[in-house]
Amino acid sequence: MNSDSENFEALRKLMAIKRHETPPPGYFDRLPDKIAHRLVHEGGSPGFWDKVIANFSFRPSFAYSFALAAFGALTFSVISTIKGQPQASGPTSPDFAWRNGAPDDDFLDQDRSLQPLHLANWMGNTNPGASSLPSLFSQGAQSNVMSVSYASP
Amino acid sequence: MLLTKPEMEKTIERPLVAVFDEAVEAEEIDDLTLVRRAQSEDMRAYDLLVRRYQERIYATVYHMTSNHDDANDLAQETFIKAFRALKTFKGDSSFYTWIYRIAVNKTINFLKQRKNRVQISLNDVDFNAEHDPDLVALTSERTPRRDLNLSELQEKLNEAMLKLSEHHRMVVTLHDVQGLSHEEIGKIMDCNVGTVRSRLFYARQQLQAYLSDYLK
Repeated sequence: MNSDSENFEALRKLMAIKRHETPPPGYFDRLPDKIAHRLVHEGGSPGFWDKVIANFSFRPSFAYSFALAAFGALTFSVISTIKGQPQASGPTSPDFAWRNGAPDDDFLDQDRSLQPLHLANWMGNTNPGASSLPSLFSQGAQSNVMSVSYASP
Repeated sequence: MLLTKPEMEKTIERPLVAVFDEAVEAEEIDDLTLVRRAQSEDMRAYDLLVRRYQERIYATVYHMTSNHDDANDLAQETFIKAFRALKTFKGDSSFYTWIYRIAVNKTINFLKQRKNRVQISLNDVDFNAEHDPDLVALTSERTPRRDLNLSELQEKLNEAMLKLSEHHRMVVTLHDVQGLSHEEIGKIMDCNVGTVRSRLFYARQQLQAYLSDYLK
């Protein structure tokens, strides 16, 4: 222990060198001016993004919470988009007219709301091979088209 | 002679400013008074706080980074961040502890981001070093360090410091270089005195091993 103390004493003396490491002459005369200049030009109070960035760099928990919230919001929006698709087709939508105008048994069996969810369907894939919906141009669909007149009575 | 209102205000203000200057020069105005003035956007008061602590803050950051440019940037950022956060300073701790804490956190974050990209850019050892009793004692002894000049010894010491972890290096810097007490370091680093002591002991042991050739 004694030799340890002696060695630490030698180390302490060696550390004295560091106290004599000084910046270039006049540095401390200029530093306050540089700080004042930056405060004036960059603004004294931080902006919104400064605060956000500062929170990210100093509080990792803030970054994790933000990532979790963003992931939650994304998941919620995806789920609500998927669930909202059948509800969006109300009585006035073309989809409703298509379904009501096609009373054939074949069509009634193919309820859109019951079809299995496929990525290709809700991503708007135009590949007819990927879609499980019946074609509007099939024989059954053509026979149920009603003519509409827009002329005023 | 009748004075206009602005002239009267100037006449009244001037002596107050002069009194303030004299008090500042004599370091009679305490930190808290300057902080309160700076909180109400008095840039002059903040400038005085900067001048009061710049050397200690710069030195702390410099001894942690061993790079003058990094120390310069970090010291500036510390004072800028402190000014922006000044409204939140309640005076529970001293301004000195508070600004040190900002500097320490900024420096440790910087070093963690920098990882192994270490670039040493040391300041010169000043002329007074040759008369420092500790250094005179060191170089007068017959050891390997006697054959080294001061700048080589400085380089070896800084290399050894950079091998320490950020927290260990910080404790050595604050205690052995800057002369702060264990209690002050505990407040600055937000840990108890026991942790400070154990970190200091471990850091010294490591330094001793790295610098064994120069401590015989």
